[in-house]
Amino acid sequence: MVNVAAAKKKLVQVCRECHRVVEGESCAVCGSSNLSTDWTGYLVVIDPKRSEIAKRLNIALPGRYALKVR
Amino acid sequence: MDMEEFTNRIFAIKTTSKQERTVANNIKKAIETNATDVQVVAIIVPDELKGYVLVETPESQARIEQLVEKVAHARTVVRGETTLGEVAHFLVPKPVVSGISEGTIVELIAGPFKGEKAVVKRIDTGKEEITVELYESVLPIPITVRGDNVRVVDRGEAS
Ligand SMILES: [Zn+2]
Repeated sequence: MVNVAAAKKKLVQVCRECHRVVEGESCAVCGSSNLSTDWTGYLVVIDPKRSEIAKRLNIALPGRYALKVR
Repeated sequence: MDMEEFTNRIFAIKTTSKQERTVANNIKKAIETNATDVQVVAIIVPDELKGYVLVETPESQARIEQLVEKVAHARTVVRGETTLGEVAHFLVPKPVVSGISEGTIVELIAGPFKGEKAVVKRIDTGKEEITVELYESVLPIPITVRGDNVRVVDRGEAS
């Protein structure tokens, strides 16, 4: 069970352009299909207007993001 | 409207082992489904910080403790708040080649030469790659590997 969870985690894809976690073939926000499974650090933005973290990272939309993408 | 308007606090929440991202997702879900009225505006889950997530919130510690009770895999709130300034370095992860310089002795920890020791010859910070020569090889062939595929054995005298 642990291995299945680890394998699933590995397969999570993020957009190389905007760092958003992508479900499917391309990024729902910027339309890019330049995706990566090689990323570290995770960020959940719930209310970007009130978040200093979102402001620092220039994130305007709520969602799940990678902090660093290779 | 500038950055000075933010008065949010940062709290660290302890999670069960390997459930850091799950806890972040569970907090998001609890807020979106109105399962809680505690407000959290963002959650950072740095890979370096095992067993914790950091929440950005306008709420007090007592309110975050109420939230933790409703979120699966969230355990306790670390006593005391911090500021974004103190955790900002987590937002810009260090390149994996930091701490490695020319002459550093490394051990390859992945790939066909796994377990071999090598000397660092060149570093490409942008690509996060290093070029090494195997230590005990008769023919010193340069090999380029990812910075996270090596472990530093000896930094040498140079630095
Ligand atoms: Zn995108």
